[in-house]
Amino acid sequence: MQAIDDYIEKVRYLPPAPRIVPELMKLLNQPNVNSSRVVKLISYEPALTANVLRVCNSACFGGAVPTTDLQEAVTRLGFSQVYQLVTAASGAKLLVAAQKGYGLDHGDLWKHSVASAVAAQIIARKCGDEQSLVFTATLLHDIGKIVLTQSLEKIYAKLVRETEINQASLLEAEQKLLGVQHAEVGGRLLERWKFPPNVVSAVWFHHAPKAAGAHQRLAAYIYLGNMVAHFMGHGYGHQALAMRGRDEALTILKLPPESVPEFMMESFEQLNVVESLLLAA
Amino acid sequence: MEAARIFLVGLADLAVTRGQDMVLCSGPLGACLGIAIYDPKAGVSGLLHSMLPDSSIGQARAEARPGMFLDTGINALLKRAYGLGAHRENLLVYVAGGGRIMDESSFFNLGSRNYEVLTALLAKNGLSIHAEDVGGSANRSMQLDTVTGEVRVSSSGVTGEKNLCKR
Repeated sequence: MQAIDDYIEKVRYLPPAPRIVPELMKLLNQPNVNSSRVVKLISYEPALTANVLRVCNSACFGGAVPTTDLQEAVTRLGFSQVYQLVTAASGAKLLVAAQKGYGLDHGDLWKHSVASAVAAQIIARKCGDEQSLVFTATLLHDIGKIVLTQSLEKIYAKLVRETEINQASLLEAEQKLLGVQHAEVGGRLLERWKFPPNVVSAVWFHHAPKAAGAHQRLAAYIYLGNMVAHFMGHGYGHQALAMRGRDEALTILKLPPESVPEFMMESFEQLNVVESLLLAA
Repeated sequence: MEAARIFLVGLADLAVTRGQDMVLCSGPLGACLGIAIYDPKAGVSGLLHSMLPDSSIGQARAEARPGMFLDTGINALLKRAYGLGAHRENLLVYVAGGGRIMDESSFFNLGSRNYEVLTALLAKNGLSIHAEDVGGSANRSMQLDTVTGEVRVSSSGVTGEKNLCKR
C-alpha cells in the first residue's frame, strides 16, 4: 500500500479529482433522484453546464424550444442521460492526454476507455445489472496508467522487452519493473478520490475479477468490456493485447463463451451511435 | 504518406478499386483481420477489415454489412475484384491482425479462430497468403498502396512500419 501511495504522491501533473462523479454515484442508488441536487452539483462547473445545455439543445433531443436553463435541461434529458454525460466529460478530462510510458498517443486511452465502457454496459444490460455503475467503473478502469506513465517513460525499452520478448502481460511487466501495477494504483487513486468501495475494488481487480470478492460481478464486467474493446482494435499502446485470459469473468456472470462475438457486434453498432457524443466530450 | 491519398476502410467494411491512386488503410485491427489483395496486371486493389469468422451468428447483419464476417466479407471482396477484371492466378493476398490475448485455456481465442477460418476460406477459393503479420499481442493497422502494391503494417506503441511487400 505504501508503495502505491508513494507513486501517487510522486506524480507531478496529476489532474484534479473529478469531484462531481462520486457525488453523482451516490445519487444513483436513490430511488427518486432529486433533480435540484443534480443541478446544484453540475452548476459548479461551467464547462459541464455548457455541455449539458448543448446536448439538450442538439438535434438528438430536439423538437422543443432551446433552453438556457440548466434545471430545465436536466429535466428534459433525465437523470441517467445527464449522469452519463457528466461521467464522460469528467473521464475525458482525465484520460485524453498521451501516456508516453505506455506508447499511448493523445486520445488513445480515452478511445479505449469509451469502447470498453460501452461494451461493459451492453453486457450488464444482458445480465440485468445496473448499467450506469458498470459504465462509470469501466470508463475509469485504466486510470492507474496516468499515475505510472511517467515512471515507465524512462524505462520504455524495458517494458517493451518484458512484454514482447519475455511474454509478460502488461500487469506482470509493471509489477516487475516498478513494484506496482496500474490496476491497484487505479483502485487506490479512486479510493482517495472518494469513489464508492465497489468501484474501487472492481477497478483494482479488473484483470483478476474473482479476487474482487463481493464486487466480482462489477470486476467481471470491466474485464470483459476491456477485452471486447481490445478485440475490436480499441486497445492501444505497445503490445496492447498483453493481458491474461480469465475464463472466471464468464463464469461469474454465467455467460457462455459464444456470447463474446454477440457483445462485439452490439458494441460495434452502439459505438457508431455514441461516438460523436462521447468522443467530442 | 500524403493525407490526400488515404482512403480509410472502417471496421466491418471493405473497398475494391481499379486504376486509382490511393492508399487503402484499415483502422486498428485488434483480434480482427485485415486482408489486402492486389492484382498487379489488372491494377485492382482491395482491402477488407473483418471482425468475426462466421456470418451464421448474424445473417441480417451480414446482409447489411458483409465485411463484418470473414465468410461473407471474402466473398464480397473477391466478387468485386473479379468484377473489376482481377484474375485469381495474379492475385496477391496479404493478411494482418488476429491479435491474441495471453489465454492458455484458449477460452477467448478469437484472433486464432479468425486466422484459421480465413486460411480455409482462401484455400476454398484457390488462394494462398503471400505475406502476413498476425498473432501475438500487438494491435496492428495495415495499408495498401494501390499504385505500387506496397503493403505496410504498423503496430500501436511502436515507431516505424513493417513492409510486407516492397515492390
